[in-house]
Amino acid sequence: MTKFPKIIGGAVFAAVTAFAASAMAEGTLRYATIGEPPSLDVQVGTASLASTISQHMFETLYAFDAAYDPQPMLASGEQVEDDGRTLVISLREGVPFHNGQEMTSEDVVASLTRWGEHGSRGGLLMKNAVSLEATGKYEITLKLSEPNGAWKNLLAFPNGGPVIYPASVASAAGKEPIALEDYIGTGPYRFNEWKPNRHVELVRFDDYAAVDSPADGYAGARVAELDAIRFIPVPDVGTRVSGIQAGDYDYAEFIPGDLFETLDADSAVTVHRNGAPIYGLMFMNSKDGILKENRKLRQAIQAALNKEEALRISIGPEKLWDANGSFYPKTSVWYSDSGVASFSEGDAEKARALAEESGYDGTPIKLLVSTNYQFHYDQATVFTKQLAEAGINVQLIVVDWATLLKKRAQPDQWDIFFTHHGSVPDPVLITVLNETYPGWWETTEKEALKASFTGTADIDARRNAWSDLQALIYDQVPAVKTGDVYSYNIASPALKGIGDSTVIWPHFWGVTK
Amino acid sequence: MWLYILKRLGAAATTLAAASVIIFIFIHLIPGDPLYVLLGDGATPDQVDALRQKLGFDRSLAVQYFSWLSNVLQGDFGQSIFFQTPVLSVIGDGAETSILLASITMVWIILLGIPVGMIAAMRHGSWTDQGLSGLAMLLASVPTFWVGLYLILIFAAWLGWLPSSGYPSIFDDGGLANLQHLLLPSLALAAPNAALILRLTRASMLDVAREDYVRTARAKGIRPWRVVVRHIFRNALLAVVSAFGFTLAALISEAVVTETVFALPGIGRLVVQSILRRDYPVIQGVILITVVLYLGVNLCVDLSYRFLDPRVELE
Repeated sequence: MTKFPKIIGGAVFAAVTAFAASAMAEGTLRYATIGEPPSLDVQVGTASLASTISQHMFETLYAFDAAYDPQPMLASGEQVEDDGRTLVISLREGVPFHNGQEMTSEDVVASLTRWGEHGSRGGLLMKNAVSLEATGKYEITLKLSEPNGAWKNLLAFPNGGPVIYPASVASAAGKEPIALEDYIGTGPYRFNEWKPNRHVELVRFDDYAAVDSPADGYAGARVAELDAIRFIPVPDVGTRVSGIQAGDYDYAEFIPGDLFETLDADSAVTVHRNGAPIYGLMFMNSKDGILKENRKLRQAIQAALNKEEALRISIGPEKLWDANGSFYPKTSVWYSDSGVASFSEGDAEKARALAEESGYDGTPIKLLVSTNYQFHYDQATVFTKQLAEAGINVQLIVVDWATLLKKRAQPDQWDIFFTHHGSVPDPVLITVLNETYPGWWETTEKEALKASFTGTADIDARRNAWSDLQALIYDQVPAVKTGDVYSYNIASPALKGIGDSTVIWPHFWGVTK
Repeated sequence: MWLYILKRLGAAATTLAAASVIIFIFIHLIPGDPLYVLLGDGATPDQVDALRQKLGFDRSLAVQYFSWLSNVLQGDFGQSIFFQTPVLSVIGDGAETSILLASITMVWIILLGIPVGMIAAMRHGSWTDQGLSGLAMLLASVPTFWVGLYLILIFAAWLGWLPSSGYPSIFDDGGLANLQHLLLPSLALAAPNAALILRLTRASMLDVAREDYVRTARAKGIRPWRVVVRHIFRNALLAVVSAFGFTLAALISEAVVTETVFALPGIGRLVVQSILRRDYPVIQGVILITVVLYLGVNLCVDLSYRFLDPRVELE
């Protein structure tokens, strides 16, 4: 008789304390992440989660609108002179950093210099820099030896991109990732704390100077409505989903395809399908091994693969994948169907004939794949079977991601490796075109096309050059695209202003709860 | 007894020295490179080399080992490669969660395992005994993650009584109320272990109950509860206390799954994540401290025998 009231009392205590805890969390958005990001210094790192978090703290000179057109963010305008070889960029005045200091051209020059020397993607623009100078307190001038038609896209892309730090921070950091205490930017949220295994917390920057234009994609006014944003590592997907349903989190990422239809029909959550796909890539080794300079064998591998089958097995619901051979979706200005006839032939006989023509003698081809990303492993398994049917032997080397990253830098360790690529607003950012990226594709045809692609600012000329480059990828097969995958995230219905997630990384300015 | 303790401490120091070498070598033998994980997909060889040099990973393994050991002996466990913060601070933060989780779990185990085991033993052969033993078998057989997910589903998602996951520190906003975050995980973690303690208590008490001195006590007319508590339970406790040592060790390894399911910032999850990231200083620090704890717990368990049973000689 006395036990029952105690149980009720316990439940009431739990409910009251839970209510108190949730009341404390008002104004704080709790984002359940799949893990923890590496350094948030996005100039040198390219991890997606780091970009998701840091875009609230650090800003670039330009930012993409919803149509992926770069619009001024920290810049206020530009003059392009000398046939695109001289770029004069004026800066917005009165933009404070989180430490109170005003952003000036000195900070921009220091940040762009560091990005050019040590940034992941800095070389794409800055390798042809002749000079970079502050030509006024709010103006910089970048002189290039060759025009670069992608310059504005490169300055707008924050992932591995030129975010602006105070000059003192950028100069002191050099090659090394920036320390936590130096996470100082100009964004609507500022860094508060990083508690290992617990959360990364950003808080509203009250002195934020927003652009005077309506919010549009990543561009326009960024209004911080929330008091704070917490990025909380929740590695188990079941817990991320239950946490949203229980009200413990407001947003959760990386939900697997097999839950899509159930969650889509669940009124306790809202589903946000990412409008920008990621796609699997199998890089061929151009430096060493059996595939080096053996174009026929690469074409044989390409001909054997049925991508639709692999996508159906590895991803599931058809809303979440598209067997699209173009490197861009149909809605993009960069969409092209050049070469895509070879995308998913699944023709074992053709593959067998091409392999024979290449002189292939049955030597196992080493395919390096990680289990950290389930769809990599699932697709690699399907492809191994398809290749076996064409008489091509594949030796799957299954490792964890850390091992894959190390092994792929060693050309004698692999013939093909599996990775994936996020959507990028300009083809120049696609790693297949980067000759220093493992795979090391460097042919005269590619270099010539790439030069004509980057060497002009004329959009039609660039589109034609990209179309030819895509056709060349399907001919020389430096990498095999495995199809578009649309990830999705889930959110509490209480979150307002999140809109349709048509951009690459979810952002939370303009969002209330 | 002091001589015994000194001998045990000497043996522990030798074990610790051997463990430190093994930990260091094995961790560095795992393929993979923390620098690629830290710098990401687009890192250039130049950046990787610069960071390798800065962190001292370009030196020979022997030099790295002695440098690490000498720092550890001075209380400096180094810097986490991934978090860029001192290892002891990272471990300290995780230790709060793990210690509280283990403590609450042990309370559940003691509260559920021992009394229910006593009831089962006292009602040996009855429906109660069979029901409780069956329940214990079921709890011992069901995986912890499964129990955890169902507890989350029922008490967090459906009833909304308790938080589904996470654990804010008791030193943060919310104070002791934050302990509610550990109720479900501790129950999930306690379930299989309480079942084992229940079965062990039951079996041990049944063994002792057959002893002559118990029969004598009963023949002398001592009240039944006094026979159970003072003569049977106290003597059955030796085996149960020994099992607590193993249970505590098991909690540390089983907590990895529980901490992952409940997204708790504990030591178990920290180790797994650190292995995946190849964060060598954190892995080395956690394992070394865990070895020290194991040795300490075992020594305490051995010493407790003496207090529980004065006949036990410590040699």
